Amino acid sequence: MSSVHAPRRVSARLRDWRSWPRDAAYAWRRSLRFRTVLLALGLSALAVLAAFVFMALAIQNDLFQSRLEQVLDDAARTTQAAQATLDSAEVGGDLVAVDNLLVNVSTVARQGATEMTAALRSDPASPLAPQGFTTGGLTEDYLSEGLRTSVQAGNELQWWQSVALPDGDGGTVPGIVVGQQLQVPEAGSYELYFGYDLADASQTLSFVQVTLWIVGAALVLLIGAISWVVLRSVTIPIAEAAETSERLAHGDLGVRLEVRGDDELATLARSFNAMADSIQSQIKDLADLSLVQQRFVSDVSHELRTPLTTIRLASDMLNDRRDAFDPATARAAELLHAQVQRFEVLLTDLLEISRYDAGSVQLEIEPTSMAQLAEDVIASMQQLADQHGSDVRLIAPGGYSPVEMDPRRVRRVVRNLLGNAIEHGEGRPIVVTVDSDQHAVALGVRDYGLGMTAADSERVFDRFWRADPSRTRTIGGTGLGLSIALGDARLHGGTLAVWSALGRGTHFVLTIPRHGSELNGASPIPADPGDDAAFDTLGLTQPIEIPPADRREKR
Amino acid sequence: MTSRILVVDDDTALAEMIGIVLRTEGFDTVFCADGAAAVDVWRAERPDLVLLDLMLPGVDGIEICTRIRAESGVPIIMLTARTDTADVVRGLESGADDYIVKPFNPKELVARIRTRLRPTAEPAGETLRIGDLTVDVSAHEVRRGDEVIALTPLEFELLVALASKPQHVFSREMLLEQVWGYHYKADTRLVNVHVQRLRAKVELDPDNPRIVTTVRGVGYRAGAVV
Repeated sequence: MSSVHAPRRVSARLRDWRSWPRDAAYAWRRSLRFRTVLLALGLSALAVLAAFVFMALAIQNDLFQSRLEQVLDDAARTTQAAQATLDSAEVGGDLVAVDNLLVNVSTVARQGATEMTAALRSDPASPLAPQGFTTGGLTEDYLSEGLRTSVQAGNELQWWQSVALPDGDGGTVPGIVVGQQLQVPEAGSYELYFGYDLADASQTLSFVQVTLWIVGAALVLLIGAISWVVLRSVTIPIAEAAETSERLAHGDLGVRLEVRGDDELATLARSFNAMADSIQSQIKDLADLSLVQQRFVSDVSHELRTPLTTIRLASDMLNDRRDAFDPATARAAELLHAQVQRFEVLLTDLLEISRYDAGSVQLEIEPTSMAQLAEDVIASMQQLADQHGSDVRLIAPGGYSPVEMDPRRVRRVVRNLLGNAIEHGEGRPIVVTVDSDQHAVALGVRDYGLGMTAADSERVFDRFWRADPSRTRTIGGTGLGLSIALGDARLHGGTLAVWSALGRGTHFVLTIPRHGSELNGASPIPADPGDDAAFDTLGLTQPIEIPPADRREKR
Repeated sequence: MTSRILVVDDDTALAEMIGIVLRTEGFDTVFCADGAAAVDVWRAERPDLVLLDLMLPGVDGIEICTRIRAESGVPIIMLTARTDTADVVRGLESGADDYIVKPFNPKELVARIRTRLRPTAEPAGETLRIGDLTVDVSAHEVRRGDEVIALTPLEFELLVALASKPQHVFSREMLLEQVWGYHYKADTRLVNVHVQRLRAKVELDPDNPRIVTTVRGVGYRAGAVV
């Protein structure tokens, strides 16, 4: 259906003739109506062709036969008249009389329906017999050997043959030559030929044929048009159903098909509507469930946080006074204090995660400079970096102008990435990169620690996942940090990508699209840092040799 | 002078624990576990500060906050388990000066309370002008002509902070530090909501502010003196 898939202007389509085969193939593949109409056209053209060829042949045959009968009749009558003239004549060996006889015969013969006659002497050797005559251009050249032999041999019988006769203008027309023996007294046998042209019959035939072809072509086009119109009544509801399903698939759950009548299309519409009803109710159930879950999360949050606050206050108080306790009780208070804090962090992360799961997180967007934010986070974690001997460097070629984001969440992501880098950076420098383009702003955190295998780097965002459970955690982490960071990135419509290589370290890249932009996979900072040549100028990178025994995952 | 603090919380264990913490720090405490009775207890006790749980049986914290605000500018700090945007903003809009998210530690609680209770530095007899307002700092009084505009201590402090440096543009972070006593990144919604409340009281047309003007992308500054 060119009207559906190719809204290009007709002139453009005509100019672009090279694409026609492709367009046609596309239409064949995509349009039921196009395909069916084309098939109907092809098949009916074939049928019409066969029927009409048969008809044309039959008509041609019939025309020829009737003309043949007519000319045979005519020839027989004329020959008979000529023979009668000859039979009644008295020549008495007078050559002149024989000549006159032949003139008479020629006159009689010309009373037939044709101008073309010829009388030929069968036995050229006979000395008495005068030359025959030819009229109307029917010369000996038009008479085949076979015909003449048959006429000479076939006593009193009519013979005929289809030949091309001269039309008087130097051309030829289809015609019939009829021949019969004529007995001329004293002169022996002559052959009398009549040439009948078939011009009239041929004209009639070509008129009939032209009419047939025109009618045939019109019939084929009519069939095409009819099937086009008939298919419209089928394909339009189907196209409607397709469009409605698409809208349904895009989340417009309220759409329904109009049910008309009681036919198959109405059944289709009814089943479709029943399916849509069922989907809508199920999605509503799920939404209700999600609402219940959200409320549950909120309730759990309140219910757990209140007693935790009491515990927290109490443990803090005990911890502050542990100097007054005996050593064992003091240590107990200390442990209580530390674990309550850990519990609190874990609870916070868990609640955050379940909020993502419930889809109840809302961003608080304000324009924020990513470069400034990175600087703030680095400053706030300077102490931790110093403890691990890591030098954190900021390279910010771009990303200064404010971009719409939820700064609290982005700050949390950056803090998390930087914390990981410090923990796994083996005391080597850490490079934080901030850059932007017209679509997005990105922040990369690169450490030059042990790195991970590709298989492990695929799992870093899994909840509670640790590559090496035996590794002690120096910075308290819940195992949910990267999972939350990924959730935060996605909430912004952005991405959090990871690149890691054993011995070369790890590179996390957070990319956040600018307002109104969409990420199409590209980030201002590629996750794969390439060959580290750029960082080498900073004197940072020396690949770490990992002893084979220690080659297992370290992150 | 010992400050008296009203703790409105239905969780008695937490209320008691908060009481212990506060008394250790030298505060006097009053408790109320019932939302419906909270406003009456407040009227009877006239505390210097109210610690108010946002979720209470009966009348909820936001309602109590609104009722107290209707009568007084007493500092109110909300305790909330919810960090969801809507709850916190509703609490602040109903007049709470500050909020603390559970679970909190005692130092944080005490720091927040002390900030709200600290006497504002009052250079004696100083009078500031901001827009068409006169701010008498020592008398804690704001006037437009002869009309006195009632502000809560926090709103007053916010206005004084802006008026004392008329040429200065204050970022939200600076105001959080100066007025709320936060020395780290805190919730800038505190500033936004309270600027709105302040404007509603002091501006002739809050939609077209002339006293506290917004500097887009940066923060706020005092309007020109007229």
